[in-house]
Amino acid sequence: MVGSGAAGGIAAYVLTIKGLKVLCLEAGRMLEPAHDFFTHKFPYEWPYRGEGKPGQYGKLPQGMEWKIKEWTDHLYTIPAEDPYALAPGSKFTWTRLRAVGGRTNLWGRGCDRFGPLDFKPKSLQDGWGEDWPIGYEDVEPYYERVEQLIGVSGSSEGVYNTPSGKRLLPAFNPRCGEMLIRKGAAKLGIKVMPKPLAVLSRLYDGRPPCHYCGACNWGCDVGARYSSLDVLIPQLRRRKNFELRTNAAVHTILMDRSTGKARGVTYIDTRNGLEYEAYGKAVVLAASLVESIRILMNSRNRDYPSGLANTSGTLGHYLMEHVAFNSIEGFFPELAGRPTTNDDGPGESCLYIPRYNYGHKDQKKYLRGWRLDFYTGCGMSPGPGASLPGFGSAYKKKIKELYPAAVQMGGYGEGLPFFWNYVEIDPGGLRDRFGIPQVRFHTTSEYDHAFAIRDEMYGQMEEILKASGAEIFPYKKQSPYPLGSVTHEAGGCRMGNDPRTSVLDEWNRCHDTKNVLVVDAGCFVSHPEKQITHTIMALAYRASDHLAEEFRRGDA
Amino acid sequence: MGERLIGRRQSLKYLGMLAGTVAGREFLAAWLPKSAAARELDALRRASYHAASNQPNERPYTPLFFDKDELSAVEALTELIIPTDESPGAKEAQVARYIDFIVSAAAEFNPSLQHQWTEGLQLLDRLSREKYRSSFHEISARDKEKLLEEMSLPEHDAGQTHPGYEFYRLVKEMTVEGFYTSRVGLIDVLGYKGLSALGEFPGCTHPEHQT
Repeated sequence: MVGSGAAGGIAAYVLTIKGLKVLCLEAGRMLEPAHDFFTHKFPYEWPYRGEGKPGQYGKLPQGMEWKIKEWTDHLYTIPAEDPYALAPGSKFTWTRLRAVGGRTNLWGRGCDRFGPLDFKPKSLQDGWGEDWPIGYEDVEPYYERVEQLIGVSGSSEGVYNTPSGKRLLPAFNPRCGEMLIRKGAAKLGIKVMPKPLAVLSRLYDGRPPCHYCGACNWGCDVGARYSSLDVLIPQLRRRKNFELRTNAAVHTILMDRSTGKARGVTYIDTRNGLEYEAYGKAVVLAASLVESIRILMNSRNRDYPSGLANTSGTLGHYLMEHVAFNSIEGFFPELAGRPTTNDDGPGESCLYIPRYNYGHKDQKKYLRGWRLDFYTGCGMSPGPGASLPGFGSAYKKKIKELYPAAVQMGGYGEGLPFFWNYVEIDPGGLRDRFGIPQVRFHTTSEYDHAFAIRDEMYGQMEEILKASGAEIFPYKKQSPYPLGSVTHEAGGCRMGNDPRTSVLDEWNRCHDTKNVLVVDAGCFVSHPEKQITHTIMALAYRASDHLAEEFRRGDA
Repeated sequence: MGERLIGRRQSLKYLGMLAGTVAGREFLAAWLPKSAAARELDALRRASYHAASNQPNERPYTPLFFDKDELSAVEALTELIIPTDESPGAKEAQVARYIDFIVSAAAEFNPSLQHQWTEGLQLLDRLSREKYRSSFHEISARDKEKLLEEMSLPEHDAGQTHPGYEFYRLVKEMTVEGFYTSRVGLIDVLGYKGLSALGEFPGCTHPEHQT
């Protein structure tokens, strides 16, 4: 098992409780929430008000500025220290968090399931792209199990192609601005529903409920939101058949030429820089997809000269990410001048707008659809008034007046898979500080569909905000953010029935070497507008369940 | 009204004296109903913290980056942008010292920020001398405001230009940032109530926003 984040945590859990002997190699260190998370710290309690020494983090790629602050700079990997290469003209924002629990420590917690159409975009939607080799009905039981395991709050609303679990914890109470948007969207016939969140609204499984401090993005000090660090790792460490080895950066997969199977991995202990080997009957990669691809490519040998599991030539290709861009900001005149309220809630917005544009008529311009998210109320920044012109007492009063009336709306459009969006081992020979060859990205988010769906979304966001009674500030349409900037990257070793066009089979096993699995988002075939972590976890559960079953039957 | 207020303050003072010693704390714990004692102590702690942060520091401040005249110019600029009116402003939040600290810390990774400030302040003096025949820190408060007004014109009218506009934006951005990340700006002025622990989150309870 390589990795301990969203995919690795679940996979290690499933394999361990099924009685297999699991060695989990994690490239990062162990985290202690009490020591590593600064959940309840105000900006003025940091030397640089939380922003770091000017220029300290180097020039961060687009989309990473809000993630790396004084609260979190010791957790994330900063590109200036651990670089990755970009081909000329390419952009990619690679957010890395090397630690036990990976990015589940600081994730967005959105937990929606993909719908039946999302697994079959080609045959059920528009004939473009590829279908998954599996359908919603294959994954549904695993969505259910993941929800029961990690605790998800939300509600089942019966929205078309937006399935929800029937046994979720109660949804969170929405804020004033969210209620206004619900009313406004209803006028346009658009449904607003509770956002499924991996945050506990009630005591669950011995874990405390959310205490509404709103600081989830800095790490939860009580583990009320799901992270594999808080929820699964402690359970696993009590079991004799589970071992966690930290500071172990996996370098390559070891192959047995006589059987054609993997027999283990090599890894570098990041504390002493020495290389070690670990042996096992199966290798499960869950290192976050770029790292998993990097490991497969670095494992090339005489039999697999272009990288392990790359007979199809598609390893590293079809990288995807949501179409994302700047949100629209404004305020509700109706809420201006109200007394301040505590709007932190469960850290995320409580409501959102699931996809609603099925069967739209503009399929020549863009495909499929989008979701919209919105943020309202009193936060830790001065709000919309601060971006107004002027200064002085009137300016200051305007800031105070608009502070409780703030609203922002943004969204994610479906990102499409293209062969030409890919990652490879840097031909320039870039290595990390442990000597492991690193990757180079050839990716762009600026393709026709992305611009077209963006324009459609801007128009829809304006319409919904206006229908809700909001005033919108003038804004500039920005190019779609680089791939990776919203930390929803997927694809690169997609699953499929045909070994000539895909890397993995429907059980996340490499077509080339069946005892090597990739259970992270690398296996994604398409990238619908929904949040992807739930599907990562459900697929990791499903693949591990199957692997354990194979072992039980003696097939693996 | 006044009496009740003073009465409460005095009681807080008394509790503060008691809370200052181990014996006093034991006394309080023993004699006050537990939750009430905790509440009073909490209020006291908050009151004393706010008092401390709102009072101008008596010790003279030695700037880290600016010289004395520059600091007084920065003080004037920040206080023009976020003035003290019915509520505290940049002065109480000591935004000029925040800027001095940040700009001095920029030496390591972002020295261009230091140049922007040094050159900006020189430009400000030049503009001030052209118009009022003396440096910015010497001209009257009214003239300072008028000059800043002119520098900010492009913000209201995109057709306008002003040589000082870029510096005006830098000052405004860092003042807003420094003020609203301070305890004075975020808690006392905006009234931010979050980052606290609640048992329940009621969300919106206004009948007019429901359906």
